[in-house]
Amino acid sequence: MENNHLLLGALVTPLIGAIVALVFARSNRAQRSIGVLAGLIAWVFSTALLVQVHSSGIQTYALGNWRPPYGIVLVADTFGALFAFMVTSIMIGGLVYTFHSRDKCMTYPAFMPLFLLMEVGLIGAMLTGDLFTLFVFMELMVLASVSLTAISDDQYGLEAALKYILISSMGTLFLLLGIAAMYATFGTLNMAEIAQTLLTGERPFLAPASAIMLLCAFLLKSAVFPFHFWQPDFHTTAPTPISAMLSSIVVKVGVYGIIRLVTLLFIEEAPLLERWLSTLGIIGIVFGSLGALRTYNAKRMLAYSTFAQIGFILVGIGWGERLALIGAIVYAFNHAFIKSSLLMLVGVVSSYTTTKTANFADISGIGRKLPSAVGWLVLIGGLSLAGMPPLNGFISKLALIQGGVDRGDWQNLIIMVAAGILTVIYMIRAWQRIFQQNPLPDTAGAKNEGDSLFAPFLLVCVCLLLGTVLAEPLIQLIIETVRQLGDPRVYISAVNLPM
Amino acid sequence: MIELLFALSIGTLFGIGVFQLLRRDLIKAAIGFAILFSAINLFFVAVGAFEGEFAPYVSNVEAGRQTSDPLIQALILTAIVVSFGSFSLLLGFVNIISRRYDTIDSDDTNRLKH
Repeated sequence: MENNHLLLGALVTPLIGAIVALVFARSNRAQRSIGVLAGLIAWVFSTALLVQVHSSGIQTYALGNWRPPYGIVLVADTFGALFAFMVTSIMIGGLVYTFHSRDKCMTYPAFMPLFLLMEVGLIGAMLTGDLFTLFVFMELMVLASVSLTAISDDQYGLEAALKYILISSMGTLFLLLGIAAMYATFGTLNMAEIAQTLLTGERPFLAPASAIMLLCAFLLKSAVFPFHFWQPDFHTTAPTPISAMLSSIVVKVGVYGIIRLVTLLFIEEAPLLERWLSTLGIIGIVFGSLGALRTYNAKRMLAYSTFAQIGFILVGIGWGERLALIGAIVYAFNHAFIKSSLLMLVGVVSSYTTTKTANFADISGIGRKLPSAVGWLVLIGGLSLAGMPPLNGFISKLALIQGGVDRGDWQNLIIMVAAGILTVIYMIRAWQRIFQQNPLPDTAGAKNEGDSLFAPFLLVCVCLLLGTVLAEPLIQLIIETVRQLGDPRVYISAVNLPM
Repeated sequence: MIELLFALSIGTLFGIGVFQLLRRDLIKAAIGFAILFSAINLFFVAVGAFEGEFAPYVSNVEAGRQTSDPLIQALILTAIVVSFGSFSLLLGFVNIISRRYDTIDSDDTNRLKH
């Protein structure tokens, strides 16, 4: 097994960035530059990693040169590398937004180091091949994001953070309990070795129980139906770039874990788990779409919409066939770009109000005073979320519905199409309220300057590219990903366990 | 015998922890979280501590006799660090909440509900 240093590079660059940013705690400007630089370098590493995984198969790195199963091993298969690439790409957007932002919380010396630590947690969770390390990285991500929300300019940030840390700690505890049960039954925490044992058809006593515990922990991280209630509060009150990251890539960690669980570890139990996943997904779609329709705040509307979109992805995973899984992964990838750009755009709009709120009562009609580019970008993003061609939302809806037609699950398809129509309604309605209406007389006055449009502009451009020029290569890449996921032996043999 | 003792204490700690976590008092909820984490750390100990006769660092083990599992101890150390981090962050939040809201009753800290 060759050690590929790109894996370590992608993981360690943001960590070094965080430490260096702490050294420059006095200068806010230096911290922001370090953040953007670290994000860019991590992006270069993850892109190179994705290219290499695509051309020459799964790459691994044994930390400290301890061979698996004794040491911790980082593994990048196409799926992991693709998600790590998605994380680093969107993180650049968030870091660039922070660079130009005027929010007070972003001047705190702890902001940038925490932001970069969140990136470490995200990348680490997607590249690790060891269950316990997955737990550590997920906890790092949770603690960083909770702290970032608690220092938000929004006065309710602390309350939402407290709520989330209590709930998420419960999830973490069950993840840890599941991992301990795994260790008790398999005597190892290396995912490849567990998969190898499970592949032989052997089912030790605690294995199904730990599968359920891991699944619940991942569902909680993705805010799926029974565990969703913290999500709108937490995503609404976070500072703009953080809420864009939370709603786009942090929820994808749970999706990543669920896909790993049903394709690598518990393949025999997968049909049972998948039936649950599609039911929970449909509930999420219905409640998320309806919640987005009737909410009073633009950011909150997008948070509810994330709840619905995760439902779409889960139904795709729940269908369980190759085509549907392709649809689910395309959907997860595209949704990250759409949702982060939209949340940043709403953040830009709300940064023009004096109270920095995104309540519809305060931002109705404010669009007339903003640069007209904001309106166009929100419209493009909204249409992309609703799945209109030629944007990437169309590609992902098409891929997912193709999977559903292939499966012949018409009931769920009808609900999903109806939810798609609801998406059009709430996005267009929000757009009209912000950019078309006349301002209400008692609206808080608009300021003359707000946050920069550069980062959301970049992300909307990526959405356009992913819907047109890059759609074909993306689909090809994801078809290859799913082919690789379809055979866990590829993953197991790449980790190269001693026989 | 020791297994039974462990099982009982893990179960008791788990029960106390869940009960405390559901209290309205936020400080009690935070303590409940710490108790729950101890229960899970004990579970980790129970998983592998009783196999083998020597501590893992003993180097001159006679042939045919086993050392206990060193990985368990590494895992628990990491888990304790992580839980300590979350616990102190949680207590910090409760501290600021108590000053900002003048209460630590979770029923009164619900201004998010409009």
